[in-house]
Amino acid sequence: MSLEQQQQVIQYVPFTSFVHPSFWHSLTDIKLNVDKLNESTKQIYGRFTYRDDIGTVFEVDGTSFNKVPETEQMYYNVTGTIMNKNTIEDFKNIDKAALLNSIGEIIWPNIKRKTWISNPNSLLSFIILSFADLKKFYYYYWFAFPCPSQPTVYLIDKSQPISTVFSNKQLEELSVGFKSLDIEQKCFFAITKEGESIYVKPMSKILDPNKPTQNAIDIDVVFAFIDPSNGPNPGWPLRLFIAALLDHCPSLSGTDVTIIGIRSSGSGTLNNSNVYTIAIPQNLQKVDSSGWVGWERNDKGNFGPKLANMSASMDPIKLADSSSDLNIKLMKWRLVPDIDVEVMKHTKCLLLGAGTLGCQVARDLLAWGFRHITFIDNGKVSYSNPTRQVLFNHRDCLDGGRKKAEAAAQNLKLILPTVNSKAIVAHIPMPGHPVGESLLEETVTNLKLIIEAIAEHDVIFLLLDTREARWLPTLVAAHHGKIVINAALGFDSYLVMRHGVGLRCMESAVSVNSTYIPGGLLGCYFCNDVTAPGNSLKDRTLDQQCTVTRPGVAAIAGALAVEVLVALLQHPLRVEAPALYNFNGDEDIASELQGVLGPIPHSIRGFLHSYTSVTPTCAKFKQCIACSDVVINKYREKGTEFLLKVFNSGKYLEEVTGLSELQLAAEMTDILTFSDEDQDQE
Amino acid sequence: MDIDTITPEDFLASAKHFIEISDKIHDGWRIYEHKNEIHKSYIKKEAFITFKSQNELCLYKIEYVIFYNLSYGVPSFSFNVWNSPGTLLKLEEIRQMCFIQITKEEFYSVITQQEHPIFHRPYFIMHPCHTAQLLKEFKNKSRNIVVTFLGLISPLLRLNLSLEYGL
Repeated sequence: MSLEQQQQVIQYVPFTSFVHPSFWHSLTDIKLNVDKLNESTKQIYGRFTYRDDIGTVFEVDGTSFNKVPETEQMYYNVTGTIMNKNTIEDFKNIDKAALLNSIGEIIWPNIKRKTWISNPNSLLSFIILSFADLKKFYYYYWFAFPCPSQPTVYLIDKSQPISTVFSNKQLEELSVGFKSLDIEQKCFFAITKEGESIYVKPMSKILDPNKPTQNAIDIDVVFAFIDPSNGPNPGWPLRLFIAALLDHCPSLSGTDVTIIGIRSSGSGTLNNSNVYTIAIPQNLQKVDSSGWVGWERNDKGNFGPKLANMSASMDPIKLADSSSDLNIKLMKWRLVPDIDVEVMKHTKCLLLGAGTLGCQVARDLLAWGFRHITFIDNGKVSYSNPTRQVLFNHRDCLDGGRKKAEAAAQNLKLILPTVNSKAIVAHIPMPGHPVGESLLEETVTNLKLIIEAIAEHDVIFLLLDTREARWLPTLVAAHHGKIVINAALGFDSYLVMRHGVGLRCMESAVSVNSTYIPGGLLGCYFCNDVTAPGNSLKDRTLDQQCTVTRPGVAAIAGALAVEVLVALLQHPLRVEAPALYNFNGDEDIASELQGVLGPIPHSIRGFLHSYTSVTPTCAKFKQCIACSDVVINKYREKGTEFLLKVFNSGKYLEEVTGLSELQLAAEMTDILTFSDEDQDQE
Repeated sequence: MDIDTITPEDFLASAKHFIEISDKIHDGWRIYEHKNEIHKSYIKKEAFITFKSQNELCLYKIEYVIFYNLSYGVPSFSFNVWNSPGTLLKLEEIRQMCFIQITKEEFYSVITQQEHPIFHRPYFIMHPCHTAQLLKEFKNKSRNIVVTFLGLISPLLRLNLSLEYGL
């Protein structure tokens, strides 16, 4: 060794692990269906390439678990082991150094037995230590590529291009010889020179496995390995090769050895291969006494595990959530660029009634991307319900029936697990339905629940089967300035409407010639004639409490109710969004009267009999029994006391509003919307 | 015959021809032929790409899959990009590492993430209705429908299509 030469301890470029998503899919599948709680170690395959344009990447994928590895050009398969731990503690607590050494204790005797000479690929191996958190789809993993830490050798000067030692003709011979090698002989082999020609030979043609050591090696032999590195330093496999070579040929100590790192171009030529001249010191440290190294560094550059967070692509709940979201975003990207997709996610909807309409509205809300849905209902699911009430199934009817609000909220989660659905089981107190002593406490509790729920939500849907039940929520929602969407059904007709808000009667001097009414001044269900249109009356059954509607009516009305809400939310004025007034259908609608999704009607009355609908607009009624200033003020002053008075006598409202002509009792018993319930309802 | 669509047989024949050229020039495409249901045959290529994210050069793998879309009767293009732990990149991340200058709306109107009809895992898929429109223009002039198709979409993605395919 000449002292002028630059000598540096050789730096092997370690492998960088690269995991294909399908690897985690296969691991999960095996863990859930084969291994279950077994913590067995498994033989797997990994591979690296000696292409010069990629680098020292070591890959595993879904086929790594196959019995026979898949082959790919310019890739080399390595047999390894995966140790998948059952708990994160086991994963953390395992002694990593001892684990590597125990692998070394398996590899080294193989080297001593000389099996590597005929099977050079047995030198290469890898370990994956892993823990799969299959609830979160987090995979903790750590790769190791075991190598003995000794012997230490030196690189003389820098590595040189192969053209410095081989002619073009010889390179051609190398390429042909390399291609004809058996695949498992390709990782470590020898090149001999005879005259001007070179020949590629497997290790077993040069080294004799039957001799414990060999001293004389033909000076015209150079050794070669497939080199994953694409920089000036050699790749990791050389480290094992040198350890094995020096064990078999101790006489190489004190000499310089030339080793070729085979690197292939994309088209298969070996012209970019590298030549390393390596100085072997005189006194080599024994492999046996030194430890084994090879744990991979993580992204921070530390020796530590890596984490694959696969939840976005593997967790079925996240997949469902993001896919349904995407559907709504597509609308924005492709058709309605101005739509605000976030507003639906954050708007909290309260559905009063979890019957035919309630179920329908909830499903449409879900489809539009609403994620906060609360049901209030006091009923139970009966045998007749599931065919019409689309959130229920037969099982919900058994054993006396589940509470509708609870069944609806839970079944909504079966459709989309991430929905925030809640149930409030409460009876809605009604005017003219006196509260006796015995029910007083329960009624006050219910009132509190309902009033709090209205205050907490942004939108109140009135989907109840009686007119009286709509009075309390109409009043409380108007007081709180909430958006109210009301839907009611007749036999073959429906009404869908939005309400105005708050103390607005005094400003409601809407001119009869105006082209619009501001949203806040629109009438409520009780301001307007709510007589269900058409010939529904004559089709009533003797029991007026039961549902006699054409099944499509609820689906149409429910869908329209949600569409009206969405149109309203997309309007910059929201609840104040104007409704067209005195519109004859001929002229163009001014843009300020429209939202992103078009003009928003006050009400829609549809008639299935003639397959038509109309969109009438009405202003607030100054003497309305539910939303007039005088009623709201009375509620603000007296609260529950006022409400209880109204429940005990409908006449009281008549006094308050001064409607001597209002025949409240008659009105209240005139059921204009039919029950969702069948005869089995109490 | 409907001139806007191609049959699975046409697709497979074109794909095989495409693979022949790919093999010749070591382009790395592989064919996965489904013998019983030929419309489930597809061709695939995996490649490493580097992308500078937060001033750090990161290595990603991209997988391109061209399969036959049974409903539209056209070749469909799908792809996925993942980092070293195997986590798939999101649509917005992909747009940013793109490929070409394109607005969010335009990009999203062409490419969406959905469950792959063959692999049943999430992939980014180019919407086939655009493909049908595009291919209509070239249908009768095209010698190989897969080459034509890839030639049309490769500017959108970092997919260098060798001139050899067209020769």
